[in-house]
Amino acid sequence: MAQERKQTKEAAAAEQPREMEWDLKELMERLGGDEGFLRELLLMFPDDVRMNLEKSRKAIGTGDYEGLSRTAHTMKGMLRNLSMRAAETAAALEKASQENQQEDSRDLLEKLVKELDGILPEVEAQLAGVKP
Amino acid sequence: MRILVAEDDAISRALLERTLQRAGYEVISVENGTQAVAELIKQDAPRLALLDWIMPEMDGVEVCREIRCRKKQVYTYLILLSSRESKEDIVAGLESGADDYLTKPFDTDELKARLRTGHRILELEDHLVEARESMRFQATHDLLTSLWNRGVIVELMSNEIMRSRRERSCTAVMMCDIDHFKSVNDQHGHAVGDEVLREVARRLHNSVRSYDMVGRYGGEEFLVALNKCNPGSAVARAENLREKIAGLPIQTAKQPVSVTISIGLALSTEYTKCTIEEIMHHADMALYEAKAAGRNCVRVAQPAAGAKPVEEQPEKTQVLTP
Repeated sequence: MAQERKQTKEAAAAEQPREMEWDLKELMERLGGDEGFLRELLLMFPDDVRMNLEKSRKAIGTGDYEGLSRTAHTMKGMLRNLSMRAAETAAALEKASQENQQEDSRDLLEKLVKELDGILPEVEAQLAGVKP
Repeated sequence: MRILVAEDDAISRALLERTLQRAGYEVISVENGTQAVAELIKQDAPRLALLDWIMPEMDGVEVCREIRCRKKQVYTYLILLSSRESKEDIVAGLESGADDYLTKPFDTDELKARLRTGHRILELEDHLVEARESMRFQATHDLLTSLWNRGVIVELMSNEIMRSRRERSCTAVMMCDIDHFKSVNDQHGHAVGDEVLREVARRLHNSVRSYDMVGRYGGEEFLVALNKCNPGSAVARAENLREKIAGLPIQTAKQPVSVTISIGLALSTEYTKCTIEEIMHHADMALYEAKAAGRNCVRVAQPAAGAKPVEEQPEKTQVLTP
């Protein structure tokens, strides 16, 4: 399993020059090189994401675009704090839901879910102690 | 220094908390605006706050507005955290009462620098409040004895007499004068004289109830007003004050000095038609009579005739001879 994670990590690393999904270096600078704290934050990440995505789906289901934009805003801030590129999708989702663009909101939420699905294994790999 | 952090997302909150703790702050963190207001209006609340702009229940701008309209005694320095898209909201944020804003994700050095600005403002405010309080004290108190000064004691006593007339109660007005004070100064010097004044003031102040008033009326003259005083016990209370001074020599830096006071007493209930000045004049006349009667005694002003001697003459302590 560790092998599998490592491969994922390496695949992501290979893509880095094109699009850096997660700028771990920048994040570590923000954390002042505190690896223990990085671990604390990353341990919170899966639950934080799950909870916010759940809220977003519920909001879109009930047509609550104001609630959706608020949750997207929260996710945007959190992802930016973690130097994750998915923040920009969350930002687009916030904007689309503010403007009541239902179709765009739906598409962007799906895009965000996919991006976060992509980043979760990386977070787990990091937590498992596989150095980038 | 303590700081409040209001941020709804757990990860962003943890990041802020840790950054601030590293910078030496004691952090109190909450998840929404309602909790932020509850923390900020507490007694001894943190005076610095970092508020996320968009939060559930109450957003950062509403928190600023709420805190500012409460006009708290001490100033709270409020910084809003905004995302970089919402620049157009900055004006609205600052108009709601925020002192500054920061764009997320924040740069640690910038955050610290902005907080230092907050410190400077708060320190400036502390200095101003301190100066104002000190000036207020100086304007109302006698510098040497820290009692009310003449202007204030007369005004406070006037208000009290007006009130006692409405409520049909009695205010006892006492003019107290240190006997032969000039000779204290002549014999021991002015420094000792000042010590004597301070100690007499202290004893008078400590011998009345918290709602009575003591002020320095002139050089060695003190004005005491006993509020809601039972007329029948006024003389006994004046005697008590006299005894508090005469009963124990005053320890000065040089040597113990024995002093006494004479008291002229006027009861507001005896002078319902008189002005405040007239009542004080009557108390003053009674004080003269106490002096004429040999000092270290109490005389009560009589509306019609002169001052009445206190029935039971107290045993006099040794009067200081010049």
